[in-house]
Order: sequence, then structure tokens, then C-alpha cells
Amino acid sequence: MSENKNPEVLLKVENLKKHFTPHMGLAASLGKARKVVKAVDGISFDIKKGEIFALIGESGSGKTTTGKLVMKLIEPTSGTMIFDGEDVTSIAKKQLEAYRRKVQMIFQDPYASMNPRFKIRDVLEEPLSIHRIEGDRARHDEMIVKALEEVKITPPEEFMTRFPHMLSGGQRQRVATARTLILNPKMLVADEPVSMIDLSTRAEILHMMKDVQRDLGLTYLYITHDLSTARYFADRIAVMYLGRIVEMGPADMIIDKPLHPYTKALIDAVPEPESGKVDVIKELPISGEIPSPANIPAGCRFHTRCPYATDECKTLPEPELEDIGGGHMHACRRWKEI
Amino acid sequence: MNLKDFLAGLSDFWSEFRRDKAGLIGLAILVVAILAIIFEPVIVPFKEVNSKWRDINYWEDNSSGAPPAWTNAFSSEKKAVTTSLDRPRKEEIEGDGVSIRRYEFDYSYRYDQPPLDVIFRAEGWGTFPILVSVERPDGQVIDLYQYVAEGLDGDDLRVTLANDSKSAAYQFLAVNASEADMANYDSYSVKPMVIMFSEASPSMATAPVALTGKYKFIVQTMVMSEDVRIDNAHFTVVGSVSGILGSDTGKRDLFSGLLAGLKWALLIGFVTSFISVLLGVLYGIISAYFGGAIDSTMNFIYELFVSMPVLPILIVISAVFKPSIWFIIAALVVFSWTGPVKTVRSMAMQIKEETYIEAARALGAGKWRIIFKHMLPLLIPYSFASMALSVPGAILYEASVSLLGLGDATITTWGQILHDALSSGAVLNGLWWWVVPPGFSIAIMGMSFAFIGSAMDKILHPKLRTR
Amino acid sequence: MDKILEVKNLKLYYHTSKGVVKALDDVSFDLYKGETLGLVGESGCGKTTTGTALLRMPTAPGRYDGGQILIDGRDIIPLPEKDVRKNVRWEEVAMVFQGAMNCLTPVYTIGKQMLETLQEHRDMEKEQAEELIREYLGLVGLPGEVMKRYPHELSGGMKQRVVIATALFLKPKFVILDEPTTALDVIVQAQIINLLKKLKKTFDLSFIFITHDLALEAEVADRICVMYAGKIAELGTNAQIFGKQGPMHPYTEKLLAATPRLHRKVESLSFIPGTPPDLIDPPKGCRFNPRCHKVMDKCYVEEPPLKEVEPGHMVACWRLEK
Repeated sequence: MSENKNPEVLLKVENLKKHFTPHMGLAASLGKARKVVKAVDGISFDIKKGEIFALIGESGSGKTTTGKLVMKLIEPTSGTMIFDGEDVTSIAKKQLEAYRRKVQMIFQDPYASMNPRFKIRDVLEEPLSIHRIEGDRARHDEMIVKALEEVKITPPEEFMTRFPHMLSGGQRQRVATARTLILNPKMLVADEPVSMIDLSTRAEILHMMKDVQRDLGLTYLYITHDLSTARYFADRIAVMYLGRIVEMGPADMIIDKPLHPYTKALIDAVPEPESGKVDVIKELPISGEIPSPANIPAGCRFHTRCPYATDECKTLPEPELEDIGGGHMHACRRWKEI
Repeated sequence: MNLKDFLAGLSDFWSEFRRDKAGLIGLAILVVAILAIIFEPVIVPFKEVNSKWRDINYWEDNSSGAPPAWTNAFSSEKKAVTTSLDRPRKEEIEGDGVSIRRYEFDYSYRYDQPPLDVIFRAEGWGTFPILVSVERPDGQVIDLYQYVAEGLDGDDLRVTLANDSKSAAYQFLAVNASEADMANYDSYSVKPMVIMFSEASPSMATAPVALTGKYKFIVQTMVMSEDVRIDNAHFTVVGSVSGILGSDTGKRDLFSGLLAGLKWALLIGFVTSFISVLLGVLYGIISAYFGGAIDSTMNFIYELFVSMPVLPILIVISAVFKPSIWFIIAALVVFSWTGPVKTVRSMAMQIKEETYIEAARALGAGKWRIIFKHMLPLLIPYSFASMALSVPGAILYEASVSLLGLGDATITTWGQILHDALSSGAVLNGLWWWVVPPGFSIAIMGMSFAFIGSAMDKILHPKLRTR
Repeated sequence: MDKILEVKNLKLYYHTSKGVVKALDDVSFDLYKGETLGLVGESGCGKTTTGTALLRMPTAPGRYDGGQILIDGRDIIPLPEKDVRKNVRWEEVAMVFQGAMNCLTPVYTIGKQMLETLQEHRDMEKEQAEELIREYLGLVGLPGEVMKRYPHELSGGMKQRVVIATALFLKPKFVILDEPTTALDVIVQAQIINLLKKLKKTFDLSFIFITHDLALEAEVADRICVMYAGKIAELGTNAQIFGKQGPMHPYTEKLLAATPRLHRKVESLSFIPGTPPDLIDPPKGCRFNPRCHKVMDKCYVEEPPLKEVEPGHMVACWRLEK
């Protein structure tokens, strides 16, 4: 595993919070008290250099908000973020520009993440012109070709004159990756990069991303709801529930020996392509759906759906992440009993 | 975007556009209008209409309040049409120190009702005698008028035969008509035009019959010295029907006026809509992009402008300032930039939420880059449609202001023609050709842009939604 | 078992300006009472087209160019539209469209929307209809008070249940489900799958379950129909496809290998190189030949027919000829 060879921390996130206060009209704000949506509610994690760190959760778990916080597309409510030894929690415009060169993002929808009126060449040149990278058109073309070759778009010259809608989903996601690589970033935030791509080619994209990561020594923050690809793709996994990390550790440990009842439920729910299950109704340990982040349950926030919840879980303050060794951390009071 | 893509996009657009009948009609009208503007110097009958619209002297040879020439087609008695004869055959008979110069003008007369007047006009230099005569289809030659022009220096030479040839006409009548009839006439009450264009017969005084055929107006002069010069000799046959669209009571040719007004209508429409849509689109994008307090403030300003009654304010401004056309355009822009704001704002709000905008931000793009590189290009199609749709409004507002007599007095606009018509009681006197064409022109120009605009809107709008 | 649906040599072509897109080309399959038939394949292989074709609602500019759709022995293709609307659509065949849960009208309550659908087909008193709606909401595990709620007040899983209830309450002969769980989280997906299984068992319902995810088909489908480029590549029972022996068509093999498995740590996932073919001008011979890892000379020449290789197991591949 790469993190053992290079244990240096690239991104350190501490007690990061993002609370949204909904913007209401005058009439509405008179009538109702404003409900604060606690999308991210105090999370801490480290991402080491050269590591692939997966953030897993259902919709509403706050994983995408975390990605946006790391990208500095939104400002955190509180907490700190240290990137490469530098506090980037609140930085001035100049530093932000430098930060944006080092941290890049791949979006979920390869159809929507590129301006439909831009040709592939324009898409890839945009970061160069934004960051005023020196060079004439020929020099830029050279860099664009190199980036396209990196993501195995061949022949690159031919693709440069095409529009995004002329490409398949997989090709677009490659181009989106090339766009992030052109500035030589240190870290990529990939928000569900393959969830909209056909299953048959999903692995191809993940392979490509992994190759790029090895070639260029990149660090990934991989955001997904898909445990199967996370296991294959990531070194470490953090499971989020309602804005908190409930379990975190090496990928294999999380999947093979989950400690938190929520992680267990997630794993149980994943369908496997094996026969003999059609007439079996699957035991689902947890019921219902994730509550609204505007209305987080008191105590352990998972207690409303937890089959093992006791009165303690409902009343005592929320359990913090606890390390049981090997970097495997969990936030469950009753982990030993279950 | 290079030229090739642009052309490809254009041909896509065209292949959809040409399926829209109304849009095509609108486009055809617009093309005709633009051609008319380009060829105005060639097709306009009165070349100096733009500078001389309000010059009474320029129009004095034209017929007054005459219906269009084509109304002849609908009446049993054909009336002479106002015609200009300006291609004389010139002949110089050299004599002993003097020479006779002779101009011959052919005029083919095939009407029932004679012209109101036949006017000879020229510019002259020096002193010379002049003789105007006519050779009728029946071979008879009448010497209509003669006099000596003295000491001219580029002055106008003007002979109006309806007045000046009365005695000659009386004599001609006396020779031909019966004595009994002649008793009722003297050389003042005689109508030279009727006599000149009627068959020579005993009953011509009481029951004249039109003599159709080729008339020849002859002007002769004696050139006695070097400094005698006659330029621009021409006749005007003043009929009781005139031109393509008739004339007004100020003798102005309405077709020329309408043609002169066309370019102003288009100019007002184009300039106003271009500037105001540009401003409005930018305003809407900025308001949507920045959101929050900026958006609220901009919205408030927008509401302020929208709630102002445009026409009354425009009237007050025009009455106080006696504005030029540019001032009127500026005033129109001040009130019509609000047109696209709401739609653009809501569209920009939607575009702002697109992932590729977020992706651009993640790449480090600044707000102006996002607005101009990513958002504005998407709104250009809508802007074009919106421009086309706001042209009629601008034309109508200018016409309204002009109709009230508050327009720019140095140019000719359709609104002003209408204003003159109304203040001269054209409607009461049945001078429909003075009122209907300018009104129609305003309506058709507005309609063509509305057609084009809605066709563009139909084609360009759904594309935006799906992308 | 009763055969309730018989699709025979169905051809559905899109006649576009660029050429004829053979979206469905000679597709034949049956559906029996109380069974779930899974339709699986990559996007663009004709799964959804099959679904809408069975509803007699081919997506424009699609046209039936041959074949039969027999529901209880009656071919619905030649029926007049009025008849289809009155007696077939929703009465005999219902469909849960992909993303249907996001298409509920936001300004009406769930009850009002369901009532409208019901009253369009059934002459019923309001009280009686509401009673029926409440009953069906109960069947899909929702409390009756959901009727008074607006769509935005419900979670994704609840909305999907509402949509399923709406598809069921006219008692159609079978229900087509197009990617009914794709937008849902895994736990909710598992809940919906359980619900479908329960409904099927209790009421002996028949489903056509369309998805791109083979793992899901393994969970729900009695028989699986694998489609590729508008044709059926393989059709077999759950045990035949997912059992020890495994699928027989190279496409199904590859598709299964590309399906990630949570409990198996693999060094590298497999994938199918390339993209599905352009259906205006599909490859000559077997349509899968440019992407196939077991391709033979014959595959480039002639199209393989769908042949029964063992009872109930049909495969269209030349490799099985020998």
C-alpha cells in the first residue's frame, strides 16, 4: 500500500462543519423559525500523499458537500483544513488561485461538466488561460495533447476538434480527467466519477484513473455511494452518515470486518450477481431512510434506524471516532456487543 | 468558434427557420425593406425628399392631394397622371450670329380627363426670348406663350400653362368652337388644359372630347450671346392622380416620403432594440450571477423602470426638449432595456447551476470569465430573438411621439406623415392614401419583426433548454 | 404456467433522416404468470425501447416493422389507438418509467394524482376510489396519510413506492419496471427489491424488470434476457446465467465479469472495450464481433441465430454450434 511508503499527510481536515441557513422569503421567515441544515457536522480525516481515500455515504450524508469544501467551492462554517502544511481554511484570492492549481475536481456527470459549446481543445485550454500559463497556441496544443495521451484518448489531435456531445460517456470522463491533469495538480477530488457511466466501461475508467494516479503520484479523494468500486479503487474508506464519519479505515477491513451497524447494513444491501436469491427476501437490519440533515436526531444520530440502539444511544452525547488498531476507527458505543 | 462552425450553425438554424412560414414572410418583408433602403436613390421619384420634405418650393410643381395613379384602374374616367418630361430632343439651328435652340418633349396622352396644369421649368442664364408651343396629335400647332427672360443668373424659369396660355387657348377655341358656345367664354374663364387636350370641333367648348395620342411640347429660344445658357429644361404634366401613393395637400409625393421614412423606422427599431437588449441581457446575467443583495437591489431598480409609464414620460420629454432622433432613441433605450431582464435572469439562474459552471469555478475561473465565456454565449440566441421582438415596440413608440407632432423635425418618419395627415384633416376629406400607407407600413414592419422574432424564439429556445 | 405475453419476431425501427435505426431487430420472448423477466444490457441496447414497445408507445420516430405482441393471445400492434388507450395501456400493461418518481406533479397531493389516474379508467365514487388507493398504498408499505402529502414531502423511496402502487391498482396483467432503483441508495434499493418480491409472491404478479445491473437481476429475475444492439444475445434462467456453469454468450460473460463484487477483492476489474455499435450501420455478421474476445471467422460473415442450447436456455453465438 502506498501510504506505508509515503506517510506524509497531504490534506488534514479537522472538525470541519458546514451548516446551511436556508434563504427564505420575508413572509416565510416571519412564520417559521429558520431550520439550519447541518450538511457536514464536524468531520476529521487525513489524506496521505499518493493515497486514494474514499468517502462513502448515501445521498444526504454530506459527502458531496465535503468534496465542495475541500475544493473550496463553498466556505466552511467552522473547522480547519491544512493542505500540504498550509492552512487553507480561509485564504485570500491570490492563494486561492494557487490552491486551485494544486487541487482539481472530476464531476459526476460527464455530460454536464463541460460547456456544450466548447470543443475539446477549448475545454482543455480553459485551465491554461485561467491560470495564465505561458505559451502560444502551439505550446498549449502540446500540453493538451500530452494530457489527452495521459488519459488514453487517441489520437488526441482528432478529438481536439470535437464537441463533448460527440463523445461517449467514458471518453468524456477521460477528457474531464485530462482537464484536471493539465495543471499538474497534487490532488484530485472525484465526485462519483463513474456512476453515470455504463457498467461495462466503468472499470475501464477506474483503471485509467488508477494508472494516472500511479504515473503522476497523485492523491485522490474519491466520493461515492458505491461500496464495490470503492473497495476496488480506494486504499482507505470513510463511511459518512448524516454529516459525520461513522467508520473509517483500510478498504478491506471496512468491507470484510465492518464494526458500525450502519456500515454493516450498507454492505448487506449490496446485490451480488449470484444465483438462488430470487425467492429469498433479504434480511435488512435497518429500516426507513436517512433523516433530513435539517432535523438530526439527538444522541447517536443513527439511533433512529439502528436495530441495536439502547436508551444510552439516545440520550448520551454522540460517540467520537475510536481507533481499534490498524487505523480502523468507528463511532459506535456497542460495537463489541454486535 | 471559427467561421466554419458559425456557418454550420447558421445553416442548421436556417434549415429550421425556413420551415416556419410566418418567419419566412417576416424575413421576406425585411429583405424587401433593406433592398428598398439600399436602392432608395434609384427608386425614389423625388430625389431630394430627404432634405426637402419640408420645403414648399421643392414640391410646387406636384399635384395637391392627388390619389395614387393606379386608382385610374378603378374609375371609368381615366385621369391624367402626373408625369415629368425631362428628356427633350435638343436642336440648334445656326444662323447669322444668332442661333435658334429648340427643345422637343414628347408626351403621350391617353386619358379622359386632362391634366390640371403643364409646367415648363428650367434654369437660365442671360437674356433671351422664349416660345412655348404644342403640337397636337391632329397636327395643329398652338403657340401657347412667349416672353423674354431678362438678365437671369441661374434663376428658375417657370411657365405654368394653365395660367400663361389662356389667351392662346382662347384664340384656338375661337377658331374651332361654334359661335354660340363662344358667347359664354372670355379669355379668363377659358380652361387651356381642356382645350389643349380635346378634339378640335365646334362643340369642344361645351362637350369636349379628349384627343388622345402623341403631343409634342416645343420650347424655342434664340441664343444671341455667349452667356446664354439653359439647363435642366423639363415639363411637368400635373395630373389629378399622382405617383404610386398619391400626394398630400402640401403637394408632397407620399411614396417618396414613405421610402424616406423606412430607413428611420428600421434605424430606430434596430438601434433601440440592440442597445436595450444588450443592456438588459447583461443586467439580467449580472443580477442572477451575483445574487443576494446585489440581485435584490438590481431587481428593485428594474421594478422602478418597469412601473414607469413610458409613453407619457416620452411625450413630456419630447415636448420639453424638442429632441433629435438620437435623443428619442436614447430615451427609448432608457425605458426598454427592461424587456429581456426577467427572462434572462431566470435563464442565467438555471445556467449558473450547471455543473460546467461549477467545474469552471473549480478550475479557478473568475466571475467575469464565467459570465462572458460561459453564460453570455448561451444567451445570445435568446438575445437575437428578443431583439427582433422588441423592434416593433420601438417603431411604434417613435411613431406615437411623432404622431403627436413631437418628433425630430429634421427627418421624415412615418409617424410624422401621419401627424400631418391628421392635422390636415385627411381622414375627414377622404384622403385615405395619406393615412393608410404610413399606418400600414408601421404595422407591417412591426409584424415582420414579430414574425421573425417568434420564429427565432421557437427555434432557439428549446435548444437552450435541452443543452 | 400461463403464458401471458408472447413477443414474436418484434421489429421496431426508427426512420430518421440519417437512416434506419434498427432499435429492435427480431426480438422474441415470453412472459409467464407470476414470473419476473429481467431485461439487461448496456445503454442503447434496446431495453427501454422494448418496454415502451410493449405499451404500444414506441418513442418517436419509432415504428413497428414486423412481429407480434400477443397479450393473452391478442396482438396489440394492429389495435386502434383508442382501443389501446381504453383497454390495454395501464389496464393490461403498466409501466414504471425510469425516473418516474421525479415526475410526480409538485403542486398536487399524492392522493389527487393517484385519484386522477384511477378515475380516468374506472367509473368510481370518490370515497370508493380513495379506499382503493389507501389499500394499495398499504400494499407498498406506505401509510394512508401519504395521500395528503405533496411529492416534495416524501423521500425518494416513498415516491418510488407511490409510483409502483399507481402502476398496480388497475390490476394489469404485468408491470414493466424500467430501472426502478437506479436513483436510489443501496439500502432503499434493497427495500424496494424486497417489496417487489413480496408483491410478486402474494399476488402472483408478473414483472419485466429492466436494468443495466446484472447483480440486481440476480436478485429479482426468474429468467434473464440479455440484449445487445437491439437483439437478444442470451436468454436463460437465473440459475443458468448466474449458476456455477455461468453464461454462455461472450457478451454476458464479459458483462458479468465487469460487475464489481463487494466481497471479492480483485486486483483488476474487467471491462468490455469499445462501445455498442451504431444501429444505423451495425457490424456485419454478429453485432458483438468488434468487442468479442472469442471471435471466430464465421462471426464476421453471418449473424448467429438465437438457438436453444439446453432446455430454456437460448444463446445467439456461433461458438456453441460445434
